[in-house]
Amino acid sequence: MNAIEVEELRKEFKVHKSRSGLVGAFRDLWTRRYMTVRAVDGISFTVKQGEMVGYIGENGAGKSTTIKMLTGILTPTSGRIIVNGMNPHKEREKFVRTIGVVFGQRSQLWWDIAVQESFRLLKKVYRVPDEQYARHMSEVIEMLEIGPLLDKPVRKLSLGQRMRCELAAALIHNPPLLFLDEPTIGLDVLVKLNIRQFLKQLNERYGTTILLTTHDMSDIEALCERVIMLDEGKIIYDGSLEQLKEKWGQGKRVAFTFAEGKDASILQELTAGLDVVWKKGEQSNVWVAHVPSGGVPEVVSRVAARYALQDIRIHEVSTEEIVRNIYEEGAVHG
Amino acid sequence: MFYISVFFQYMAQYMKTKLQYRTDLLIEWLSDFMAQAVNLVFLLVVFGHTPLLHGWTRDEILFIYGFFLVPYAVFGAFFNLWDFNERYIVQGEMDRVLTRPVHSLFQIILERMELESLLGAIPGLIIMAYASVRLSLTFHWYDFFIFILLVIGGAFIYAGIFISLATISFFADARTSIMPMMYNISSYGRYPIDIYHRVIRYILTWVLPFAFVGVYPASYFLNKQEWYDYAFMTPVVGALFFAIAIMLWNAGVRRYRGTGS
Repeated sequence: MNAIEVEELRKEFKVHKSRSGLVGAFRDLWTRRYMTVRAVDGISFTVKQGEMVGYIGENGAGKSTTIKMLTGILTPTSGRIIVNGMNPHKEREKFVRTIGVVFGQRSQLWWDIAVQESFRLLKKVYRVPDEQYARHMSEVIEMLEIGPLLDKPVRKLSLGQRMRCELAAALIHNPPLLFLDEPTIGLDVLVKLNIRQFLKQLNERYGTTILLTTHDMSDIEALCERVIMLDEGKIIYDGSLEQLKEKWGQGKRVAFTFAEGKDASILQELTAGLDVVWKKGEQSNVWVAHVPSGGVPEVVSRVAARYALQDIRIHEVSTEEIVRNIYEEGAVHG
Repeated sequence: MFYISVFFQYMAQYMKTKLQYRTDLLIEWLSDFMAQAVNLVFLLVVFGHTPLLHGWTRDEILFIYGFFLVPYAVFGAFFNLWDFNERYIVQGEMDRVLTRPVHSLFQIILERMELESLLGAIPGLIIMAYASVRLSLTFHWYDFFIFILLVIGGAFIYAGIFISLATISFFADARTSIMPMMYNISSYGRYPIDIYHRVIRYILTWVLPFAFVGVYPASYFLNKQEWYDYAFMTPVVGALFFAIAIMLWNAGVRRYRGTGS
């Protein structure tokens, strides 16, 4: 059985367009103009059980809207969603017992009461038997290292501490499917590492399926073999992270720091026939060559033979850059 | 059964939270008490000038007022929906509520309950006791149960109306100032219904049935037989308005569109 099946999913919002100025505001009182915005525009994908999938996209690409439809918060305009074999918004109360949700920007815990009191309340809400709770949660608490935090009220926790408690709270009923919306937003590196480590363990140990949205590409690199990339409500890439890198991240970037300023045309002439793209660096005497794999020695030797250089640096193309490049061009070709 | 145990779990947590802020609790209760004292003084001043109002004596009206305070306290304790739009729609707390396996309205009621409002029933009971002694009213053993039933009916009418108002937030973007206005209208129910114009009487009975929270049920205990039919309709009207509110709420949740983030 697939954990998530989505077919031709669509969500439209009717947005009230306000006119400008005072006169416009008065006219809005009488006749309102509406504009239909397609936040999610006909997407289809499936996620198998036990997969860890990164769901990425720029702000406003439709990530959160998709997650909210998958978790039963929003009703889709059209299309078919089956999550854990159920229709999320039709059987909401039964359905949400099979998923865990963490919104990085929103708290699941009660502000004023101790963390363990929140857990106890959620245990009741999710109808978790004592014995199962004791066994499962003691593991979760140990893995997340939150034992010492349990008797503190949530308002006294740091963001990193709170986030780990949020994760534990989402797992009280040991759900087979976990949605994480920006789980590492604003966290420092150590906490991020701890959370990634934990998610990996969770996936290995319980086979938990994880769908995660993030802006931090290193989260995706550390956790997900598969990424789904969204732009303006449409899926523009769905496949393995490896393939994405191969297709888009081939070659290297070589940054040359020249003794004096150079012109693009001269450099292009120099590397004619080598499929090199030159881009201006941060300083006037820095130029960056995007070189296909294997071409680096030839480019370096040609440039070095001709001009005086202060420095040469060679970079791998990072996932972050690949993603940025894809967005700049709008879609994945080929 | 599950809902009852969840209710008690929430209530226990609520107590723990509240006990952390003892002074707050005291001040809250005092300010509630003051507000009611002002209303009471107003009533007494009015009757300083006229001994009878449309055939109702001062003590009868005091009794109605005292009765009204009881369902109102129950409503205030459990249905704090006045900032629903702000808290749950604008700030997006509704998202969280909808990811939990308990009916969304029930969760919000539990999260927002303010049990100390129940203390507001105490002045009501005192006023009723005072008025019944002065009126030398007699009660039967079953009157206690009728009282409970009428109070619950009244609280449900209040709840039904305010839940329905809260659901507007699901359908319209704009914030409405209808809630405070409704609180004002609701206070009409604690005066004898026949002092009002026909139209207002009709509205208070069938459209916004606040008369069922104060004057109608209270007239049962005042032995005003001409209002008995209305008095016994209180639980029915309560159930009806509450059921309508739940239907509207469920329809609203389907329309919920969340916040931008």
